[in-house]
Amino acid sequence: MLSIKNLTATINGTPVLKGIDLEIKAGEIHAIMGPNGSGKSTLGKVLAGHPSYVVTGGEVRFEGQNLFDLEPDARARAGIFMGFQHPIEVPGVSNASFLRLAYNKKAEAEGRDELDPLEFDDFIHEKIKVVAMKEEFLDRSLNEGFSGGEKKRNEILQMAVLEPKLAILDELDSGLDIDALRVLGDAVNRLQRADRALLIITHFPRILETIQPHFVHVLSGGRILKSAGKELALELEERGYDWVLEEAAAGGAR
Amino acid sequence: MTSAVASNLLIDLLSGPRPAEWEKLREAAEARLAGQEWPTSSDEDWKYTDLKALAALSFPPAPRATVDISGHLLPEMVGTRQVFVNGHHAPHASCASAVPAGVRFLPLSTASEACHALGTVGPTHNQSPFEDLNTARFEDGAVLLVPKNMKVALPLHLLFITKAETPVIVFPRLLVVLERGAELELVEEHHGEGTYLTCPVVEIRVAEGAILRHERVQRDGDEAFHLSTLKAEIAKGGQYHSRTLSFGARLSRQQPWVRLAEGAEASLDGLALLEGQQVADTHSFMLHAEPNASSHQLHKCIVDGKARAIFNGQVLVAPHAQGTDAKQQSRNLLLSESARVDTKPQLEIYADDVKCSHGATVGQLDPEELFYLQSRGLNADDARNLLTYGFAADVLTHIPVASLRRSLRQLVMARTQAVSLGDLS
Repeated sequence: MLSIKNLTATINGTPVLKGIDLEIKAGEIHAIMGPNGSGKSTLGKVLAGHPSYVVTGGEVRFEGQNLFDLEPDARARAGIFMGFQHPIEVPGVSNASFLRLAYNKKAEAEGRDELDPLEFDDFIHEKIKVVAMKEEFLDRSLNEGFSGGEKKRNEILQMAVLEPKLAILDELDSGLDIDALRVLGDAVNRLQRADRALLIITHFPRILETIQPHFVHVLSGGRILKSAGKELALELEERGYDWVLEEAAAGGAR
Repeated sequence: MTSAVASNLLIDLLSGPRPAEWEKLREAAEARLAGQEWPTSSDEDWKYTDLKALAALSFPPAPRATVDISGHLLPEMVGTRQVFVNGHHAPHASCASAVPAGVRFLPLSTASEACHALGTVGPTHNQSPFEDLNTARFEDGAVLLVPKNMKVALPLHLLFITKAETPVIVFPRLLVVLERGAELELVEEHHGEGTYLTCPVVEIRVAEGAILRHERVQRDGDEAFHLSTLKAEIAKGGQYHSRTLSFGARLSRQQPWVRLAEGAEASLDGLALLEGQQVADTHSFMLHAEPNASSHQLHKCIVDGKARAIFNGQVLVAPHAQGTDAKQQSRNLLLSESARVDTKPQLEIYADDVKCSHGATVGQLDPEELFYLQSRGLNADDARNLLTYGFAADVLTHIPVASLRRSLRQLVMARTQAVSLGDLS
């Protein structure tokens, strides 16, 4: 589904991704882990098309298509979703009308019927159950005054509404208490299907107890230093990141 | 321009006959005008708002006229409205049948009880010659008196409509008195067509513990000049919350002055949506005269084309007004390279135990916000239009009259090219 080959990128002229290779197939769950400042969030933003980053080399194909031929909105309509670490507040636009707008733009692109406000009302009331969101959050302005946890809940609600093929979740666990983490982790699991893929970007292994990855990659200094199965997350929980960095510095496994 | 010629311009605007009532008030206003010069850009107060275009025209008093108001009716207020056309009461367009007994909502010309209250709010720190013009020549206006402890459930609707076949001047006038513990929601709207100068004056007295919520909608015609004055005195523990929404007029100025007594609260929010060559100016004055009062101002402008927005927010905290909490924010969105905003907070604080904050931003849409919306599948144009709409609609969110909120949202959608985004309410 997603094929990343030797991807390099800069921000303000500074290299932040220095040659990333990653293959993600439908049905797979991948976790990108790494210390702060390693470039793991950058990878998500580059894939989603954040305007501050410049791709300087390499190739990314999404379902065979060159990803960098697509504007960020076209990537979204093609089926890529990024859950933001810090979702943006948009005063004056109600959450419900924003969700409906986003849903209808995607439906339009896929040649499906758009939903009018009443139809969408029924649709969204089913969806908010998945993330255990209170109804009042639909009428409030998009993310405005939401707590960190409520914003993350809203990100997963958007994911449930847009039903992406590839969801990139950037630090979903930051700002969440343990209960909320479990609710949202379960919600993400329920949304996962054989024709979808997940890329979980996280610093802490805890979220991977709920959303169990097939592959764990350690990213540091703009490179993937180590890839293994989910047992790597447990090892990182116990031993931290330093040993992976040391191993890599010593010319070890890659 | 010499002062002798300049003064004549003000006197020219007094060309109409002096109406019979309120002689003392009118004489005092005329006397002040006689010593006044026409405001020019060399006056600090009028530095950015050029009245030259106004001086080039002549504005005789407006004749009586009839208008079709069906497009202005709001379902919540069909039985609680007073309509004034060209400054004259329009009894056939008005309907006050649902106004609760005890509330006096009627034309000034038939309200003798208003005599002692009219013209008593102030003196203000920012006296405008256009207020004096109104006082010298207004024909009629609205009086609204709410008795002690009465909480009026229905909102009241006041429509000032101008119909100008040739250039005219009109003087809308409004006096609102809320007695102790009273509560009221008032919608004041200005509409019109043709070339005209309107100089509304609003006087407000909110007694101890009373609460007035005041929506002010300026939708004057494209060729109109709107120079408005508002003066409000809020007694101990009283509250005054207003929202001034400016959409129309080629040149408009809002000049609110609010005096807060002990523990009083005021919010003075504003939105101006400007395009073409429009100019909209707000010069506000918040007077914290006594301790423990709080005030909140959020003023937003969206400026497109060659339009220009001006905001000058004065806050004066008197020496003994300890415990004052004053917040002021001016936020401006520029949509074109030739749009312009001049914003200036002006805080004078003479007490030491106060919380005062102010902030001003002028700029374009935030790229992070645009990216967020694009990452959800909205194309760049839709994302921009949605954010622009949201910037403005934010001020409309808490308008309590649903039909008014809806119609203003539609107006904002049309003006921010957000119509193609569908129903956003």
